[in-house]
Amino acid sequence: MTEPKLSIVDLTKRYAADLDPAVDRLNMEVEEGHLVALLGPSGCGKTTTLRMVAGLMDPTAGSIVVDGKEITHTPVNKRGMGMVFQSYALFPHMNVEQNVAFGLEMRQVSKAEQKARVAAALDMVQLGHLGKRQTKELSGGQQQRIALARALVVEPTLLLLDEPLSNLDAKLRETMRTEIRSIQQRTRATTLFVTHDQDEALDMADRIAVMNGGLIEQFGSPTEVYERPRTHFVANFIGQANFLAARVGAETGRANLAGESYYKVDVDGLGRFGAIGSAGLSGSSHELVIRPHRLNVSLHPGAAQAPLAGTIERVSYTGDALAVAVRVGDQQLHAQMLTSSGDLPRIGDAAYLSWAADDAYLLPAAAQPGRLAA
Amino acid sequence: MTVLEAPAAPERPRAQDEGQLERATERRNRRTYLALLLPGLLGLLVSFVFPLAYMVRMSFNQGAPDGVIVETFTLDTYIQPLTDPYYWRVTLDTFQMGVTVGILCVIVSYPVALFLARSTSKWRGLLIAIAIAPLLTSAVVRTYGWMVILGTNGLINSSLGGLGLIDTPLKLTNNMTGVTIGLVEIFMPYAILAMISGFGRLSPQLEEAAGSLGASKFKVFTRVTLPLCLPGLLTAFLLVFVLSISTFITPRLLGGGSVQVLATEIYDQTTGLLNWPFAAALSVILLVLFGLIIAVYQRLTKKIGG
Repeated sequence: MTEPKLSIVDLTKRYAADLDPAVDRLNMEVEEGHLVALLGPSGCGKTTTLRMVAGLMDPTAGSIVVDGKEITHTPVNKRGMGMVFQSYALFPHMNVEQNVAFGLEMRQVSKAEQKARVAAALDMVQLGHLGKRQTKELSGGQQQRIALARALVVEPTLLLLDEPLSNLDAKLRETMRTEIRSIQQRTRATTLFVTHDQDEALDMADRIAVMNGGLIEQFGSPTEVYERPRTHFVANFIGQANFLAARVGAETGRANLAGESYYKVDVDGLGRFGAIGSAGLSGSSHELVIRPHRLNVSLHPGAAQAPLAGTIERVSYTGDALAVAVRVGDQQLHAQMLTSSGDLPRIGDAAYLSWAADDAYLLPAAAQPGRLAA
Repeated sequence: MTVLEAPAAPERPRAQDEGQLERATERRNRRTYLALLLPGLLGLLVSFVFPLAYMVRMSFNQGAPDGVIVETFTLDTYIQPLTDPYYWRVTLDTFQMGVTVGILCVIVSYPVALFLARSTSKWRGLLIAIAIAPLLTSAVVRTYGWMVILGTNGLINSSLGGLGLIDTPLKLTNNMTGVTIGLVEIFMPYAILAMISGFGRLSPQLEEAAGSLGASKFKVFTRVTLPLCLPGLLTAFLLVFVLSISTFITPRLLGGGSVQVLATEIYDQTTGLLNWPFAAALSVILLVLFGLIIAVYQRLTKKIGG
């Protein structure tokens, strides 16, 4: 494997000696050209991590290595990174061109080259015509693009984005998501992207670091963290999930291409089902994760094998889909149905649930009591 | 009658109804605003507009040597100060003092104000209170304090003399130097307050952004921090300038009679020579000076986008 663009080794930040660390011995390697999302709830340490990489904050311990060079204590202005702030942080006393040119000016690039590169950067974000405008005359989305152009024009070693989309309205956010991703792929800028929005992370990132309490709970591709969550937290934070406590029986002897085994599992009060998980889980208790849209819901019995019979407790209509909560025994399971022109289910109707063994994933970590509610 | 007619009235479109309702509310609101403004406006009228008008009127009267005010309409009171080089000197000195005190006060207050504006400490409120606490003491008392410190046998001269650094005491009172030192210190709290409220566009993120783009600490300050502080600095300068050219106590006490500025001149004319028309004319000249400065200030703030 080639040398990673960025490696973070045992990075720790403690704001005060008597507090838990905000970032706790974090390790991560980022490949050249990748966009990595630091995803987690507020207070999980994602912004602190980004600020330490940027050089805006001193780590308590650990090291940051970029291109094989340790930069843990290099001052921010010597790191050559491009950062986009949540508030964009455009200089209000400069016009758009002056803002974008600022980094080049600090690098003492010649006036002529500055002009050409600023024009190219503004064209890249499709705002070439706004160079002479004052920043306060621009809309939020435009300011966002200027901030991106300003960070990219210096050809940064790393592009750092701190919740760049959180100040935009929902529609614009999706447009900018696509645009940032395509610009990032064109420039092949290695990017760290802080977000608390799982959709953003799944859509844009090559790798996602799911963070919680200063730790990375899982680092993997979007499909890995969604399909094969390692912990209850990851499964719960990314997408929706049903959790069932299961006692894992013997392996069936079958395995899929990834080397995962099929098991028979017993779920209290519901019965015995097929499930998939990493090898060697037999004999212990694990949580079973089933995504709502992977649950087959039928309003008529007999449509699926060994269906679970239950009662619909809640129906929520969102246009193209229908989210239902079904009471089965003492469990409430969440499922999704596509809407059709036929009858809509009503509260109190009987529903029959089933799932394929491939869609019931056993979390590798042992089940923790008291964490079973979805 | 009206009771009978009411149901027969044609139904008006709803939108028109709402429009009328809105206009009525607006009218009522405007009346409320006026009523609420009235006490303040009356107070201003009695305590400011009327005396000002009276002063302007007074400046066109004739002052007789024995203090008698001759009701007339003459420009003599203006011709005298505008033609006499002495008054030009006094006006220029006043202006110069205002500019010097303004600039020095802004320079010494800026670090304090910048620190307080940026501070996120829980002590910030207390620190601001301490910074403006000198306002609790009257300028007279503080001026006397400075006389004690700066005097020929004062703290500074006796310390420097005791250390053998000077042979003859420095002349720090009864001249413009003493007045300037005193005024700078006395107006610092105003300057600090004006700056803190004028630094609104400064944010730590802008400085961080500049740093991340490769600016050294010095460049961050000169290219981002300072330009964003300019509106606040300008406001503070204007305030201190206006306060110092209109102040009377400090130039009189620390100047010891050898510093003549417009304010002390007006005082002498009013209470010493009892030439009220002339004092009024000088006051109008001072007011015009204020007006000019404020006009320049507004031009400048528009230019730097404050």
